[in-house]
Amino acid sequence: METPSPSRLTRRAWLAALAAVSLLALVETASAIVAPYRAPTDADWRAAAAAVRAGFRPGDLIVAAPAWADSILRVHLGDLIPVEVAGRMDDERFERVWEISQRGAKSEAGREGTVAEERRFGALTVRRIQRPAVGVRYDFVARWGDALVSRRGPGTASVDCPRVADHFECPGVAHTSVRRQIVEVDTRLRMALLAPPASDGALVIEYLGVPLGRTLVVATGLHNVWSRKEAQGPVDLRVFVGGVEAGTFTTRNEDGWALHRFDTSARVGQIAPVRFEITSPSPRARQFALAAEARFEDR
Amino acid sequence: MKIAKLDARRIDWLITFALALATVFWLLGVEGRQGFGRDEGQYFRAGERYWGWFEELGSNIAHGELRRSFTAPVIDRYWSDNAPDHPVVMKTLYGLSWRAFHRCHCTGPTRGLHPIAVKGRHITLPLFARESTAFRFPAIIFAALLVTMVYRFARGWLSRPPAAAAAMLTLAQPHYFFHAPIACFDAPIATMAFAVGFAYWKSLRSPRWGIAAGILFGIALGVKHNAWLMPIFLVGHYLWMRRGDLRARRFPRPPLAFVAMLVLGPIIFFAHWPWLWNSPVTRTRMYINRHLQHEHYNFEYLGLNWNNPPTTTARKLIRATAPFVQTGFTVPVTTLALAAVGVAALIRRRRGQPVAPDGLDEETIAAPGASPSWLRPGADVDRAPGAFLLVQTLGPLAVLAVPSTPIFGGVKHFLTAMPYLALLAGIGAGRLISVLAGLLPAAGARLRQFAPAAFAALVCLPAVVETRRSHPDGLSHYNLLAGGFAGGASLGMNRQFWGYAVLPMLDVINRDEPANRAMYWHDVIHDAVNMYKRDGRLALDVGDMGFGEDALRRSQSGILFYEKHWAVYEGWFWESYGTTKPFMVREREGVPLVTMYRRGAP
Repeated sequence: METPSPSRLTRRAWLAALAAVSLLALVETASAIVAPYRAPTDADWRAAAAAVRAGFRPGDLIVAAPAWADSILRVHLGDLIPVEVAGRMDDERFERVWEISQRGAKSEAGREGTVAEERRFGALTVRRIQRPAVGVRYDFVARWGDALVSRRGPGTASVDCPRVADHFECPGVAHTSVRRQIVEVDTRLRMALLAPPASDGALVIEYLGVPLGRTLVVATGLHNVWSRKEAQGPVDLRVFVGGVEAGTFTTRNEDGWALHRFDTSARVGQIAPVRFEITSPSPRARQFALAAEARFEDR
Repeated sequence: MKIAKLDARRIDWLITFALALATVFWLLGVEGRQGFGRDEGQYFRAGERYWGWFEELGSNIAHGELRRSFTAPVIDRYWSDNAPDHPVVMKTLYGLSWRAFHRCHCTGPTRGLHPIAVKGRHITLPLFARESTAFRFPAIIFAALLVTMVYRFARGWLSRPPAAAAAMLTLAQPHYFFHAPIACFDAPIATMAFAVGFAYWKSLRSPRWGIAAGILFGIALGVKHNAWLMPIFLVGHYLWMRRGDLRARRFPRPPLAFVAMLVLGPIIFFAHWPWLWNSPVTRTRMYINRHLQHEHYNFEYLGLNWNNPPTTTARKLIRATAPFVQTGFTVPVTTLALAAVGVAALIRRRRGQPVAPDGLDEETIAAPGASPSWLRPGADVDRAPGAFLLVQTLGPLAVLAVPSTPIFGGVKHFLTAMPYLALLAGIGAGRLISVLAGLLPAAGARLRQFAPAAFAALVCLPAVVETRRSHPDGLSHYNLLAGGFAGGASLGMNRQFWGYAVLPMLDVINRDEPANRAMYWHDVIHDAVNMYKRDGRLALDVGDMGFGEDALRRSQSGILFYEKHWAVYEGWFWESYGTTKPFMVREREGVPLVTMYRRGAP
């Protein structure tokens, strides 16, 4: 069979394809050769770390952008990033943020601030970002020792869960203890209270004397990727401030680390009890994690 | 010059041989930089155990007790390792290759690290300094076979330069290249998928290839369970090729290839796997169920951790894109562009036309007056090369696009599509070479002679450079579209699995103080740790504290592979070691792969 001769348009299309593929081959080859040299070197990291150290003040936050470079950042500056900061509830309490950035990336923590200082070290850029910070009046995770923990069965009296060494233990109930620990929610690490719901009734965590600010921020999530794989049950949290219910919300596997805000401006400056009641209709493998802060301001 | 006397057939065999040799040398030259994955560690162990059965068989024959080797307890003692997970063609080859080609230090201090008792010094042909290379050698040979088969197949349609380009582009894909030299099954099953496809294609006009298709399918069944899907794709093509029968309301004749696959496939599969012999039905069912009900291991895709079938519509849609996006982000972009040109060329092709303007045409055009039979079912029709490549390329991807299918292996789950994708790229290169030839002045004979080879070399260059760049971390590598290693990390694409990336850190671990040698190896399986020691790459006194939180808490040093779902382990390091500061991080182009912590490090 004879092949019909192609139209002018077809010939042009093939020519364009020839030119495009040839050019692409050259660009891709050049990129593959050059790209490795665009990566930050160890010397870049050391120089950037030295600059951060020189200006660092206690209470500053140091972050990597993109976030996937975080472990390299911690090799150089991990001594300035304690577990509590690495596993922070959110970024809002930090006024000064040191961002070590590569490839033009910007960090979430530095997004709302203004750049006060910027220096380049090879492939890295160090920025000091000044941002409006919120004041924390009470950190429920840091003050976990103040908590009273109990378990209330359906229609039964409350049973205290006394503190045993580094955790609260509910008598006679397997897998129900409350402790402060690093949790993994949505594959990120957080410092939180691990408070698995009881098989029946409610797990109650109460702080009797909380100095209230304008806002109460509560963060919740489900700890441990294997538990999230194993089970789907929701966990309900009721929050009471001064004996009055401030809100109820449900946490599911896909919710990640969810922040909930309660307006406490009407009671700013007051000392009041805050109570968390945790229940689940399906508590198997539900490693509920909770963090909260009473803040002066909310941004 | 003597070469001028070579006929076309000999030149092709020479190129075939050169491609095979180049593949073997390239892979042997670099495999030592690539660490041992979880699965590979298990296959080393299983392969050596299977060898143990042959060793005992020899001993039993010598003692006149041949039947003893075929008793249920003896078979199970050796062959139940890694069963019912995978059949044993490759593992047996790995074990035999190890036994034949390693340099034996087996009676020295590593004697206790073997999965079977070492009875004495092994007499071998000591081709390889490392035991692991001897295990890996059959996989490398399979990769070379694939490259040569792609060339031979492409030569049916294309001139030499684009056919050679197709062969080279098969190998020069970072993710395929990662799998090619290791003692696993993903690259070998890609070879077998191509071999079965090749034999089927030839069988459409030649009955002896129909028998070959059945034999090759049986061997493929013994390599990996991907083989189950091969007939589906081939039936799809066959029905399309014989659509005239369907239009005429005639059922197409079942071709010899399918009959042979149906008959010989199960026989070879059953015969090759001694573990099945004792309880064929129950154990075959166990094997099939193992894969039909396979767990969804954790895998990162577009920033999300996937470890269960998606339940919402949005997640199902995202999940369905995985094989296509992964292909788009991992195969060198020039190869993809050439494949797109190849698709365009095949779409424009009319029945009876050659695949490429400058190629051979005997493969596709029906012989005048030929009549079909079940022995030559493609004798009277165009064999529909476009449809053939379409089902072979998109078929494996389509299976992985089903949201309920696990995606934990990334590209390796549809690696069988990649040689066919490279073939499409070869067709694209062939089409563009003919365009290029049309541009060259008629007088420039020398230029016209070398331009096709030069263009073929040009389009292979980025793939080769990218592949070289990716090694030994091919799983972490992403292409120009994604932005390389860093781009892949930013897009939330999977960075690695199997815990192989520790190899470059072994020197640091070896230099560590004896007090720090209580090592937590995270995802490095104990069999892999043993092999590093047997290879002489890890000090014998470095400990292995085991897996999980308790093991980590007992350790003095430990590593953590970056995979999204392992974050919980880093939390355990922070708590147990009392610091967030790693001792070191192994990275590629700034992207962290493995983090090492040391207890009490400043």
